Amino acid sequence: MDMLATNPAVHPTSTAKQAAFSPYADHGGTNLAIAGADYCILASDTRQSSGYNINTRFAPKTFKLSDKSVLATAGCQPDCNMVVTRVKHSMKGYKYTHNKEMSTPAIAQMLSIMLYQKRFFPYYDFNILGGLDEEGKGCVFCYDAVGSYERVPCNAYGSASALIQPFLDNQVRNKNQQGKEKVTEFDPVARLSIDEAMRIVKDAFTSATERDIYTGDFLQIFIVTSAGVEEQLHPLKRD
Amino acid sequence: MSARIDQTATGFDFGLAKRNASLEASGVKAPNATKTGTTIVGLIFKDGLVLGADTRATAGSIVADKNCEKIHYIAPNMYCCGAGTAADTEYTTNMISSQMALHNMSTGRESRVVTAMTLLKQYLFRYQGHISAALVLGGYDVTGPHLYTIYPHGSTDKLPYVTMGSGSLAAMSVFESRWRPDMERQEAIDMVKDAIEAGIFNDLGSGSNVDVCVIEKGKVDYLRNYAKPNERVQKEQSYKFARGTTAVIKTSIRDLVTVTEDTAMDITA
Amino acid sequence: MISDIVAQYTTPEASLGFGSEALPSQRGFLSGDVAHQFNSLAFDLPRTQDPVDFLHTYTDVKSAEDNLIKLAHGTTTLAFKYASGVVVATDSRATQGSVISSQSVKKVIEINPYLLGTMAGGAADCAFWERELGRRCRLYELRNKERISVAAASKLLANMVYSYKGMGLSMGTMISGWDKTGPNLFYVDNDGLRLKGDLFSVGSGATYAYGVLDSGYNHELSKADAIELGKRSIYHATHRDAYSGGSVRVFHINESGWEFISLTDVDDLHWEYTDQARAP
Repeated sequence: MDMLATNPAVHPTSTAKQAAFSPYADHGGTNLAIAGADYCILASDTRQSSGYNINTRFAPKTFKLSDKSVLATAGCQPDCNMVVTRVKHSMKGYKYTHNKEMSTPAIAQMLSIMLYQKRFFPYYDFNILGGLDEEGKGCVFCYDAVGSYERVPCNAYGSASALIQPFLDNQVRNKNQQGKEKVTEFDPVARLSIDEAMRIVKDAFTSATERDIYTGDFLQIFIVTSAGVEEQLHPLKRD
Repeated sequence: MSARIDQTATGFDFGLAKRNASLEASGVKAPNATKTGTTIVGLIFKDGLVLGADTRATAGSIVADKNCEKIHYIAPNMYCCGAGTAADTEYTTNMISSQMALHNMSTGRESRVVTAMTLLKQYLFRYQGHISAALVLGGYDVTGPHLYTIYPHGSTDKLPYVTMGSGSLAAMSVFESRWRPDMERQEAIDMVKDAIEAGIFNDLGSGSNVDVCVIEKGKVDYLRNYAKPNERVQKEQSYKFARGTTAVIKTSIRDLVTVTEDTAMDITA
Repeated sequence: MISDIVAQYTTPEASLGFGSEALPSQRGFLSGDVAHQFNSLAFDLPRTQDPVDFLHTYTDVKSAEDNLIKLAHGTTTLAFKYASGVVVATDSRATQGSVISSQSVKKVIEINPYLLGTMAGGAADCAFWERELGRRCRLYELRNKERISVAAASKLLANMVYSYKGMGLSMGTMISGWDKTGPNLFYVDNDGLRLKGDLFSVGSGATYAYGVLDSGYNHELSKADAIELGKRSIYHATHRDAYSGGSVRVFHINESGWEFISLTDVDDLHWEYTDQARAP
């Protein structure tokens, strides 16, 4: 393998082993996304914490990429920030070379490769990409840290994901509810109106704030429709 | 046949503590104990002292109890706030409370705060910090108001204003900027409330409500949930499930009692 | 014209492992098509003496241990050749540690209309490398004006992952398809192991699947029976293996390429099979 020779980061002369290289930190926080028939909702809390300390009560970790796509990140803030910067940068490059905006599914594939290029030094970042696809349908893509991704109807990531995901499975996808229409694995949830989805999103976050110490302060909601991206800010409990 | 284990060694055996540490080092995860991340405080004012505590109990990053009680009863004139492992603070204060009651009955005198403090520190010292209880002990006895902090290893402090727990720094910032000797009762209560709220809002281990306990000569006011700065907002909708939501796989009906016809009570007489 | 395009998307010397190209981040997008930065196989490495050791400390694909970064991984897959083609069947569960991260994973990867890959091990590893394999197979077609053989395609994949041997990739895949020689099936994994065979099952539920598969397998099976055997094998694996579940996805390959057969929730299959067993 010639990687040792070409990678300047590895010094073949020194033999001492680095004691501890620990570039990761968990900054808490929770993200959620729901894909509807012709809309997509992404929501995140804005608390950023380290251990028992609150770094700041307002640190947005969800970003508008275009009129049709929004990216939610959770994990280590510097890594999240780098991912968002690189995605935006490449979207610009795409626009300058092809004279059109990148579609959400195209961004999804690009982000996957971007994450995989760090396969051997992963970003500590769990992403949800949401928006509208080429047909104007709502879409949500969720990722693992090294780029495995999947299109899903709804998803929750972050410190309260274990609290919220089962709630979404039950209320959005009708899991474990006999006699209710099943939501197929990939389709956006046609049954839910924006208002109904918004109620579920808000209840998910107020409930998660009750029980997860890393979730709270503010709830930032992005609603993507054909009219563009609407942003809302709601207060959450601060304790 | 079965030889009795000869217990010649004296003192405490920390073998199990060592075993647990080595198990943990080899990757076995210890069960999650409920901790009271906690902000607890106490201060002395003109006529007595005020104890305060938040009401959040955590298990890791999850809130285990939103409204637990952290101000424990020791004696009629004495209360103790606990931080650390919930079970340890609960049992330690309970045990000292019964010892104080027995002592009180055998001497026929009102309990003194130093007595409880000494019992607590001796007990905690024997366990070398393995009992995870950080305490704020306060009481009013024949010698006046006393306020102590007791650390898990058994050391103690006697001070006019104290804080303990993960929110102690936030709470102490309030005391350090505003405490002065001989405050009025209401002023003292308000300051304790503000100190606890500083912990509730700035420390993730503390949260929910403020409990306050005012101890004066011959009088105790336990103000449970004195302030509730974190009421939950109304939910957007109801999540009641329609009848039949749970799938029925099989039904079986069984009689738990056998009713026999001919044993009916005779009422002809 | 086509050859220009082929040249544009081909690295000079068929680069396996880390080429001498600059890291993607060092290339400005103004210098040309932004797609170029995703075109080369250059991976960032942690700046430590032992990048592999670093990776093992912080990530985890193989077990449910409590490491910091949990990667999605997939689990019961099978494929077998028989008289009239190849049956490929998988479950659809992904787990990250002890959490079920998805019940709807596509573990059958459509490399091109005549080639299928399966996914077991690290989801990202399988998805990325089989996508890369698809790209290389397409370039082969454009260069040679004929389709690549299954043997050659599986060897491309085996060689690609072999150059990263020991770096922590996790992949157990079956490459199946139809070429000039008829139906073909190869097993390829992250060690670079490549086996030709008639019947494979890969993943944590593989032993359960083999039990059903071996007892019901016959080269002269009808198409319907072969598909049913694949489905039943995966179902029984999901029933016993906690890391497998979701839905059973079945594909079939014959001389005209692959064909999607079915996607069935294992819960529905469970009741279907228990009712069958009860029937007199």
